[in-house]
Amino acid sequence: MYVWDFTALKPYWGLIWHGLGITVLYTVITVLAGLAIGLAVGILRTAGPRWVSVPLRGYIEVFRCTPLLVQLVWVYYALPVLIGVDMSAATACFLTLSLYAGSFYAEIFRGGIEAIDRGQWEAGHAIGMREGRIFRRIILPQAIQVMVPSLINQTIMQLKNTSLVSTVAVGDLLYQGSVITAASYRPLEVYTTIAVLYFVVLFPLTLVADQLENRLGAHR
Amino acid sequence: MTQAPPILVAGNIHKAFGANQVLKGVSLLVARGEVVTLIGASGSGKSTFLRCLNLLELPQHGELAIGAHRFAFGDGKRGPDKAQLALLRRDVGMVFQHFNLFPHMSVLDNVIEGPVQVKNMARAEAKDLGRDLLAKVGLADKADSFPSRLSGGQKQRVAIARALAMKPDVMLFDEVTSALDPELVAEVLAVISNLAADGMTMILVTHEMAFAADVSNRVGFMSEGVMAEIGPAADVIHRPQNPRLVAFLNRFHQRTIPPKVGV
Repeated sequence: MYVWDFTALKPYWGLIWHGLGITVLYTVITVLAGLAIGLAVGILRTAGPRWVSVPLRGYIEVFRCTPLLVQLVWVYYALPVLIGVDMSAATACFLTLSLYAGSFYAEIFRGGIEAIDRGQWEAGHAIGMREGRIFRRIILPQAIQVMVPSLINQTIMQLKNTSLVSTVAVGDLLYQGSVITAASYRPLEVYTTIAVLYFVVLFPLTLVADQLENRLGAHR
Repeated sequence: MTQAPPILVAGNIHKAFGANQVLKGVSLLVARGEVVTLIGASGSGKSTFLRCLNLLELPQHGELAIGAHRFAFGDGKRGPDKAQLALLRRDVGMVFQHFNLFPHMSVLDNVIEGPVQVKNMARAEAKDLGRDLLAKVGLADKADSFPSRLSGGQKQRVAIARALAMKPDVMLFDEVTSALDPELVAEVLAVISNLAADGMTMILVTHEMAFAADVSNRVGFMSEGVMAEIGPAADVIHRPQNPRLVAFLNRFHQRTIPPKVGV
């Protein structure tokens, strides 16, 4: 019978907190960048001319249909060779995670925007509003209501996906776990602790999502 | 009525969707303060024609003048830009069959959205205007409700108030009672009658023949993309000439046409 000994982790808590900080930092930055990319790409995909929307479709499908780990490794090892620019692991991770998130967010935004009845656009036009204002004032607020569950879902995935940065030696939570395991020979305690930490961060997020969904849907 | 200067001139409007020629040269001249109703079978082009009057549909050919706004469509003519379209629509209100209220805004916010966003009216002033208009359509107590809380008839009255808030020169009504339960139709028609009495210039597309006969100065019968017959309401509805109009009206007769009408 295995005897659990979490006290063995005591000297490493500093590293664990640091790793968690990196994980949260990467999540926040790449979620924000991904949302910005996704919003822009989503709008251009619905309203842009063909010579814009077709290449963007290509971008989305490439990032949706290849594994994130492959993208990360490719951007870190292959891309610098091709374009002759050295890229730090942190930059490669930031770039890849943002583009990856952006491709998924773009499809969520596009779906949400297209789900809004055409009559809403017409009603805006009929009172003399122009496209941009109709989009900001009428379409987007309703689309976001439709999109909230998918956006939260994707954001939760994004936090979990940041664990892949450990493969290129960025010091996130999972990476610190492997470092501590190598030093303490306590993999069960280490990985259990890490799993609990991921859960403790993400579970409240799902509760907030439920709350938000209820509140936004109140006037439906 | 005929002495008043025309506020709306539509000339030889053509509109096709792909190979389907929906409007084959429709013209209409409307005097200020006049109420014109368009009737006809579904697919006759009446709704498309109405939507060409605020250019929600752009004609392929023809001319449109409403107040100071002038547009010409046809080969080699540059279509209107978005700014010109927006300026036209400030002066032409439209009410839709399916209301199209903004579900994420309160009733009052729906009504003041146009004045505040498009005309840059101060919110406080717009709110006063909005409350007046809601009172006018009998919904003063619903200002803070959300559209989802309203009946169909109430929604449509809010939509009318929203259009009126822009102080339009012309109001377009596109089958505004067709989506309503029968018992809710009267409250919407009453609001439109009041507008007619106030002298609002209106063009209506409707299947409410009795109402059309009662409220309109003129009725136009559209069939297969042309204005097949147009004239004083009493003549068109009670003394139809065009055989297709006779057949069309016969389908409504027992149900809705009053025996006699005083215009």
